[in-house]
Amino acid sequence: MDVNVPDARILPSSTALPASATAWRGRQIFWTVVLLAVVFGAVPAAITATGSSYLAQIAITAMIFVILSASLNHITGTAGLLSIGHAAFYGIGAYAAALLSTKLGLPFIVTLPAAGLIAAFVGFLVAMPTMRLVSIYFAVATLGIGEMIYVILLNWVDLTRGPMGIRGIPPIELFGWQANTLLSRYMAVAVIAVVCVWVLHRLTHSYYGNALRALREDDQCADSMGIDVVRLKVEAFVVSTFFAGVAGALLSHTSAYIAPDNFRFMESILILAMVVVGGMGSLPGAVVGALFMIVLPEALRDIGDYRMIAVGATMFLSILLLPKGMLAEGASLAFVRRAFARGWTTMSGGTPVGWK
Amino acid sequence: MKSKMILGAVLGAVMSAGAALAADKEIMIGYQAPFSGDRSQYGEMFRNAAAIKLAEFNASGKLPGATVSIAYEDSKDDPKEARNIARKFLDNPKIVGVIGDFSSTVSMAAAEIYATEKMPQLSQTASHPDFTKISPWQFRNITTQAFEGPYNADWILSKGLKTAAVIYIQNDWGISALEGFVDGYKAKGGKIVATETFNPGNRDFRSILTKVARQKPDVIYLAMFYEEGAALAQQREQLGITIPLYGTSSLYSPKLIELGRASVNDLHLATTFTPDNPDPAVQTFVKEYVARHKAEPSMFAAQAYDAVGIMLDAVAAAGPSVTRETLRDALAKTTNYPGVTGATSFDPATREPTKSLAKMVVKDGKFQVIGEP
Repeated sequence: MDVNVPDARILPSSTALPASATAWRGRQIFWTVVLLAVVFGAVPAAITATGSSYLAQIAITAMIFVILSASLNHITGTAGLLSIGHAAFYGIGAYAAALLSTKLGLPFIVTLPAAGLIAAFVGFLVAMPTMRLVSIYFAVATLGIGEMIYVILLNWVDLTRGPMGIRGIPPIELFGWQANTLLSRYMAVAVIAVVCVWVLHRLTHSYYGNALRALREDDQCADSMGIDVVRLKVEAFVVSTFFAGVAGALLSHTSAYIAPDNFRFMESILILAMVVVGGMGSLPGAVVGALFMIVLPEALRDIGDYRMIAVGATMFLSILLLPKGMLAEGASLAFVRRAFARGWTTMSGGTPVGWK
Repeated sequence: MKSKMILGAVLGAVMSAGAALAADKEIMIGYQAPFSGDRSQYGEMFRNAAAIKLAEFNASGKLPGATVSIAYEDSKDDPKEARNIARKFLDNPKIVGVIGDFSSTVSMAAAEIYATEKMPQLSQTASHPDFTKISPWQFRNITTQAFEGPYNADWILSKGLKTAAVIYIQNDWGISALEGFVDGYKAKGGKIVATETFNPGNRDFRSILTKVARQKPDVIYLAMFYEEGAALAQQREQLGITIPLYGTSSLYSPKLIELGRASVNDLHLATTFTPDNPDPAVQTFVKEYVARHKAEPSMFAAQAYDAVGIMLDAVAAAGPSVTRETLRDALAKTTNYPGVTGATSFDPATREPTKSLAKMVVKDGKFQVIGEP
């Protein structure tokens, strides 16, 4: 990370030579193709070849949690505001989609963005009074709000049917095409997950992302540099809760039944663990962390009762040996800049600087 | 489409292999329950009880030409794990039926999948009213207040007690207990003279008792838990009220007598399982459980023991060539299964269980089963 090199801005931009530009373009195409090939090629191929609905189910769950983990990383990793109530916004999105589709009969094309917007609106209301809080005080506030939302889902029986939950949520449907098979359901969820991660990538790996990282490191200093700290924090929180709501809508439409138990405090902790294990502030890390935390407990199923102990030990070791996470922020920023987003300019040593 | 063809090929291969080795065919039942996490103690009880029932069944020779085994999977009481397990069980062509899960939410998350993919599912404990309404593939072995209320109403009326007052706890369970009892009591010609409610956590019942006693009912019916039941019984004694008490099965706990002492004497209640039941089936189970696990089986262990028994008897009824389809039909035909939680039948239309409950009275500081039909 050489973004703080003082003379970066005065370097001539002409040092970005056409030759290196084509090489960069090649790398970008290569990595994009590799990632898309895994998500839309290798995984569906594995599901089809094995005929395993179990594998498909895990893949769907993993994709939903990729969105949750990536969105939590945006507020907690990049902007540095520790939120431990993320599952509540996931729940709001899930309930919004479930109620809009079962009570009003709205199609998926409406319920998906609506779930995101409703979660984001609640996120906005929550952000207004809490944004002046920092560090652990903000964390405790989100904990309290998460519990409040859970209790509301549980006790507002007239709207949410309380502990009874909501049944009969229709599957994903787009313009008459219904995702009836598990494979098509996975494909639909994967497309949305890829779009969500791409948007978060554009927000994180940019000067806007730099501003978020600046207020994470020292918000007073960032303020004195002319960054509107409160506005940026609110924006980051709203964006994060929007994507949590989208993930909730996907849960509703793929599982057909939701109840408040899906959105307990432990779910927030699970999402936070994904971000931490993957690497705080690292978007690729958040994605890898989500895959790791969903796939590992299933992969260890065969060892029986000691499964969760093994999961805990693996988490412990990964934090002990890789305290910055599996893909640390610095390394993954360098990787992203090399592979996906060219620097604004290149220093004489060939190190790209800034964002383009 | 392609995945279905492959699955079909796998199924076909397994079936032909099964035909060749018909002598020792292996049939599997899936059991999903929390074996880790906050509620692992329940999963542990289920597994202990299921192992006893399975050993009994395989030794009994009810199903010649096949052995049955149980595949256990840990759901952590988490709906997303339950969905994964459901898919895992469905992928295994040997598994013809599933028992579980523990809580209603988790059972229903899996049930949505079992319903569309056609796998019979029997939960030992899911009491959600919608659970059996999901599809014809869902069964349960636990009775709800909609069954217990009318059952108690019949019992009380058979004693010639024609007017009743109900005191119930103000929550969803209490309301369902009130409705179940009042509907059953009125339908059989009883008269409800008063219904009084209290908030959870309340320990002072003097004003409620005085108010109720003024109506002079033949019986007071209690829909609450043992803490409140014990406090209420003591205050009733202090106030000198002698109207007999009947209650829901939720009062059945040794703590009721510990807290209420002599004041709970003569309290009547009916419950599905009690280790003190002299019924030989119950005594065999209790003896085996104590021998293996050094503890008396709880109601949860008994529910699992019977759920496994019902499932295995249905497998036996369907024969060694049992499929998911034939197992479902055999389960639906369950009538008077002689279990430790009472003789169990499934209603042909709703698949809700009906049971004969064990009627009990508190006497000499103990719950005693009354030998009544």
